[in-house]
Amino acid sequence: MRQFMLPDLAEGLEEAEIVVWHVNAGDHVVADQPLLSVETDKAVVEVPSPWSGRIARLFGVKGDLVKVGAPLVEFDEGPEQDAGTVVGQIDRGEPSPADTPVPLSQARPLLVLPSVRALARKLDVDLNLVQATGSGGTITRMDVERAAKSLTDAGPAEPLKGMRRAMAQRMATAHAEVVPTTVTDEADVDDWPNGEDLTMRLVSAIAAACASEPALNAWYNSAAGQRRLVKRIDLGMAVDTGDGLIVPVLRNVGERDRKDLRAGLDRMRADAMARSIPPEELRGATITLSNFGMIGGRFASLVVVPPQVAIVGAGRAAPRVVPRRGQIAVRRILPLSLTFDHRVVTGGEAARFLVALKSDLER
Amino acid sequence: MTDQPQTDEDLPVIARFEVRRRAYLAPDSTVLGSLPRFAADTNLLIALYRAMVLARTFDLKAVSLQRTGRLGTYAVALGQEGVAIGVASAMLADDVLLPSYRDNAAFLWRGMKMEELLLFWGGDERGNLSSGPAHDFPCCIPVGSQAPHAVGVAYAFKLRRQPRVAVCLFGDGATSKGDVWEAMNFAGVWRLPVVFVANNNQWAISVPLGLQTASATLAQKAIAAGFSGEQVDGNDVIAVRAAAEKAIAAARGGEGPSFIEAVTYRLGDHTTADDAARYRAPEEVQAHWKEEPIARLRTYLVSQKAWGKSEEEQLAAECQERVEAGVARYLAMGTRAPETMFDHLYAELPNAYRGQRDEIKRAFHA
Amino acid sequence: MPEMTLVEAINVALARAMGEDSNVVLLGEDIGVNGGVFRATVGLQQRFGRERVIDTPLAETLIGGLCVGMAAQGLRPVGEIQFMGFLYPCIDQLVNHASRLRHRTQGRLSCPMVLRTPHGAGIHAPEHHSESAEAMLAHIPGLRVVMPSSPERAYGLLLASIRDPDPVVFLEPTRIYRAVKGQVEDNGEALPLDVAFVLREGRDVTLISWGAMVKETLAAAEELAAGNLDAEVIDLATLKPYDEETILASVSKTGRCVIVHEAARTGGFGAEIAALIAERALLSLLAPPLRVTGYDTIIPLPRLEQHYMPSIGRIVAAARKVCQFN
Repeated sequence: MRQFMLPDLAEGLEEAEIVVWHVNAGDHVVADQPLLSVETDKAVVEVPSPWSGRIARLFGVKGDLVKVGAPLVEFDEGPEQDAGTVVGQIDRGEPSPADTPVPLSQARPLLVLPSVRALARKLDVDLNLVQATGSGGTITRMDVERAAKSLTDAGPAEPLKGMRRAMAQRMATAHAEVVPTTVTDEADVDDWPNGEDLTMRLVSAIAAACASEPALNAWYNSAAGQRRLVKRIDLGMAVDTGDGLIVPVLRNVGERDRKDLRAGLDRMRADAMARSIPPEELRGATITLSNFGMIGGRFASLVVVPPQVAIVGAGRAAPRVVPRRGQIAVRRILPLSLTFDHRVVTGGEAARFLVALKSDLER
Repeated sequence: MTDQPQTDEDLPVIARFEVRRRAYLAPDSTVLGSLPRFAADTNLLIALYRAMVLARTFDLKAVSLQRTGRLGTYAVALGQEGVAIGVASAMLADDVLLPSYRDNAAFLWRGMKMEELLLFWGGDERGNLSSGPAHDFPCCIPVGSQAPHAVGVAYAFKLRRQPRVAVCLFGDGATSKGDVWEAMNFAGVWRLPVVFVANNNQWAISVPLGLQTASATLAQKAIAAGFSGEQVDGNDVIAVRAAAEKAIAAARGGEGPSFIEAVTYRLGDHTTADDAARYRAPEEVQAHWKEEPIARLRTYLVSQKAWGKSEEEQLAAECQERVEAGVARYLAMGTRAPETMFDHLYAELPNAYRGQRDEIKRAFHA
Repeated sequence: MPEMTLVEAINVALARAMGEDSNVVLLGEDIGVNGGVFRATVGLQQRFGRERVIDTPLAETLIGGLCVGMAAQGLRPVGEIQFMGFLYPCIDQLVNHASRLRHRTQGRLSCPMVLRTPHGAGIHAPEHHSESAEAMLAHIPGLRVVMPSSPERAYGLLLASIRDPDPVVFLEPTRIYRAVKGQVEDNGEALPLDVAFVLREGRDVTLISWGAMVKETLAAAEELAAGNLDAEVIDLATLKPYDEETILASVSKTGRCVIVHEAARTGGFGAEIAALIAERALLSLLAPPLRVTGYDTIIPLPRLEQHYMPSIGRIVAAARKVCQFN
């Protein structure tokens, strides 16, 4: 940092008054260029620069008295910062984050003219549901109008709520994951005493079948690839309420007596109808029974809901013509369906389970 | 009949030219020959001196404002004050000035206010609503493109038989531009009342005169256009004034155009964003400081006992005060609402663009 | 009413303007004694004198700059650039000065000038004499760009341009300088600038064009009519600023639009109109707006010129395409 001091401008000069600066901080000056004018007692004198350089700062302002030898101007030593322009200001920026282009995602577009799109919006038609008949797969105005009409005929769209919504979600998840296989059989229950409790017989038959073939009373964690055989049998009981399907769990059916089970089942059903089943009672089934035969139907491929691996379906017990000891007979027959997750359960295990189930029911 | 073959020396000369150089005060302020008559009027010389000092004070303050973020890019005329002041002082109010972007001293002489100049260089078009003559052109950034305007203006004077003159200022770089040649050529054909003044400060940003032209003088370019050119010591404001007076009078009198080359030196950077030390040696600049116009006239005035210490002090104080006052008025001016960018786009804003103006207005005032 | 060609209408309009207003001054190369290479200024120097009809040196930048200087002093200069191919040296004066003078002086100075130049191809000329650079000019803020398509509109629009207080570039379609005749009353009546002209009303498709191509566009409309397609034909006339409302009203009615220009496709002025339609008439559209244009190549020399130019056939095909869309 070079400093330029006020020189001795006249004999015996001790100090001088700054009259006016001719330069600014930041200016480039050359040797002999007038820096400022000062007043001595004799005259106003210009003070020239002793050397060339860039002025870092000025000392004093107009009117100040400066002593001879005191600093007037400080010169810059350092390298210049190149402005890099002759007009304006080019800002120096921070390094920007990597700016790599990304490939565009290819979504399958709907081919619709804007005016037709607006019509669909106005008529509240979901374009995804409209069948396109225009050339190249475009959705025409007529297509939208047709869809609107059929939707009107169909009645208002109601969003799924509550139990229906839960069912839709659960079934979709199950379908996405499970590899379902169904095996069926029939049980001859004609020898049952009158008034035999069908549901209870099914419950104990399932318990017996699980004891015989434990592989169907299990939980499968597909993400971890782990199967857990469960000792306790907690039987999910599908109940059809007016509003939808609900599956409360009858706990520990393998060890409770029939009376206790019946009472539990009745209470469960009443609570289900009253919609007062607490959420804990809907969880943790190890196997499920769908006694759809109470309404109607024979055999069914049912939905295995993970982490369970099996579901038993009982159809309507009804008289059927069957061969018996070489003769045609009419006997009361209970149709049985067993759907199992073939990722985890073998056909043999399922067949053995079904045989055990049938045997117990035919006692 | 002779056997000797002709040499080129025997060919008849069909054109010669001459360029004269005008100067009255030497760099050391001694008088060369005799001064023009107006120079006997010390009041006039003092007026020229005061105007140059004011212009320089204004320039330096403008630089200071730029460095402190209160003005945009600015081009000082350090060392060339004599050219603009000498020329402008020879013009009548009714004449038309067509300047470059380094002629603020001429604007100030002709009545433009400091705050108007600062407003323009501070980035607001309102600055060009000059208090100077309404017919003067604003500064011209595309170099030399004001020359065709000057001959258009001069043509209008001639067509209407008006005793008015167009005065066109540009730099040495501009004389390389086609626009300037085309304008000069036209002025010569039609003998228009226009004066071309080249402020030859010897630098076009970083390109020195030697790379700009091989012509020995800029003045002789006029001869190719069919009129006379004169070189003048641009640091001698008396010479500049004399040359300008003569040229303007000739134009006004119907004698057609002329060209003045005022030789000076650009003591400052090209603009506040430029660093001239990148391309020229400090020693060269230092040497030219010894020739600068303000010191030259001051020394002469002092030698004539027409100027002294107290006058100098007083002038410095006065210039500071006037400049500070102008700056204060400038700094007090606000910025206009953004929808004003559509003002004066056409005489009347077409329907097609009203929506855009409304959009910017809504966004700003929301 | 006298019948005259487009270039004759220009001549009559210039004479009218000069007779009405002594500030009107013409300048350009060969416009005085020769009356202009296309005879647009024939007889005018004899009538108004060489100081008002100036034969300039060969210097296009000068012509542009002279107009700026003259206009700043309140003259009404009408400069002629001999061909659009030679307009380019004037772009500096148009962009940097003419279009800005009013704005940068906040109205203190203004620039009521007109630059006239022959526009377009189709006259079997050597290179550079077939330019259509109207899109370049229409991009410049502060400028007006006007292009007549008939003798009547040439007369009325030129008068309007000369009387306008702001700078105008007046593009004259060379190909139809003499090929069309029209009834033109020399009554000094100007036509409005900034307004499009509906030359044919129709219901099925909107055809928009300007300059010489209007001729082919109208012919295409006739051919479409024979095939039971009813085309509306719009002559844009002023390209900058252009009449958005007329275009939008027409496209809202027909739902289909074909824009025709001989200039090259990319960045041509048709792109601006297509963008406007997409922005503000989207829900009226029954088909995308199509452009029938010159190709994105250097306009070929005369041997291949006619293949470059949009033909009636191409316009008809495009109109049919949009009518059959979806």
